[in-house]
Amino acid sequence: MKSKEKRFNFICGSILTAIVVIPSIISLFYTPYSPEMMDASSKLAGVSMQHLLGCDNFGRDVFSRIMVGSRMTLLIACGTVFIGVFLGTILGAAAGYFGGLLDEFLMRINDAVFAFPSILLALVFISLFGSGKYQVMIALGIAFIPSYARIVRGEFIKYRNMDYIQSARLAGAGNFRIMFVHILPNAFPVLLSSIMIGFNNAVLAEASMSFLGIGVQPPDASLGRMLSEAQTYIFSAPTFALFPGIAIIMMVLGFSLLGEAWKR
Amino acid sequence: MLTIENLNIEFHDHLIPETVVHDFNLKMQQGEIVGIVGESGSGKTMTALAIAGLLSRHDMKKTGKIIFEGRELLTCERNELRKIQGKDIAMIFQEPMTSLNPVKRIGWQVEESLRIHTNLTKEERKERAIRLLEEVELKDAQWVYQAYPHELSGGMRQRVMIASAMILEPKLLIADEPTTALDVTVQAQIIRLLQRLCKEKNTAILFISHDLSLVKSFCKKIIVMQDGYMIESGTAEQVFHNPKEEYTKKLIAAIPKLEKRG
Repeated sequence: MKSKEKRFNFICGSILTAIVVIPSIISLFYTPYSPEMMDASSKLAGVSMQHLLGCDNFGRDVFSRIMVGSRMTLLIACGTVFIGVFLGTILGAAAGYFGGLLDEFLMRINDAVFAFPSILLALVFISLFGSGKYQVMIALGIAFIPSYARIVRGEFIKYRNMDYIQSARLAGAGNFRIMFVHILPNAFPVLLSSIMIGFNNAVLAEASMSFLGIGVQPPDASLGRMLSEAQTYIFSAPTFALFPGIAIIMMVLGFSLLGEAWKR
Repeated sequence: MLTIENLNIEFHDHLIPETVVHDFNLKMQQGEIVGIVGESGSGKTMTALAIAGLLSRHDMKKTGKIIFEGRELLTCERNELRKIQGKDIAMIFQEPMTSLNPVKRIGWQVEESLRIHTNLTKEERKERAIRLLEEVELKDAQWVYQAYPHELSGGMRQRVMIASAMILEPKLLIADEPTTALDVTVQAQIIRLLQRLCKEKNTAILFISHDLSLVKSFCKKIIVMQDGYMIESGTAEQVFHNPKEEYTKKLIAAIPKLEKRG
């Protein structure tokens, strides 16, 4: 890719990401209204000076709720990607580095998990352990392990017989040292851009789970939850459904543009 | 110091087992330089990897004995082997472009065996690494210490490799075609450097090459290998002036010479 195009991607991606991420950080200590404060008089109010993005069916300020909700969505996406990357890296590294039967065994399990639709897997998990943000995080995280395990395994197979790894082995370095100190840094660039893509998928997966009502539970706000609450009012108060949707689009588009820009 | 008796290496990853090294024998003394010559695929590198303990344990059968300082390397435990590796046996690889980790600084890589085998502090390690980099005749060792591999030329990298191999003053240095990828003038410098280090630190060098003329000038003992068999061995003079095998004669005849024709 041309560097000009890359820079364009980077700038657009940063702006879009910033528009979503900065308010969600601000929401930690300030929101224009309390996201749970109901005001019957401004029920389903449109865009106005008092309520920048209107109000929902309980008269809660949509802008405040988007700030809080996108924070929740980001948190779940981060947790999901962290679990996926952490366990995926360990499994992929072991499979790729040691090879042989262990590789065969781990990768077949991996394929089995991969073949399962992630939403369905999360559904099973949630029906077993109940719903809530931590359950969503763990369920999606497990569903995300295989894709990272594959990427890391491929990279480890590529590097494990390089001369510099041989010479590290000859210097007396143990297997763990070789895996995580000598090989892993070489795999970072590939891992990083796949983290960005995975982050998008996590945002979308969380939104769809909350939309289906099995994700974040009320009164907590999340972008998917707001969409699902808004669908009944889509004709009477279109702004209520529109703005959370736009927030999701901006978040996903921003991260994928950043991911493109970081790709080698 | 190093004795190899009847070393056989057999691969079992195909349907028919394939023997790549047959009945290899070698005796090396402290501070001695021994050369192994042979064409590609003659088993030189396999022998070297076996001595270094770098051949993976499954898929292949190794028989015979490799005795280093009274320890049997072929059968000893992995932990035991790791104590010897890097400390008493070190190795330089053929390709200087791929033998350094591209994402780590030179200093970090030179220090690696210090980090594993000694309890020196960070400053002591750095001091020692820089001293070694100076010893392998790198100009501006301070700069090289913090540089990344891609910033160095092939000859410089090979010097770095020598520095990191020599940092714990091993008793045996295995050099697997260390000069093949370098141009001729740099080759000569590297050879001279190895010779000097061998003398100063009393390190034995097992020098693997396909360049007979290089080995002739550098090694006291020479082993000629073909298709996994060692077909000739002896002192450099014996091999050169009195070759027994037809193959060795051909190899010697193939060395380009400066002489008048006609």
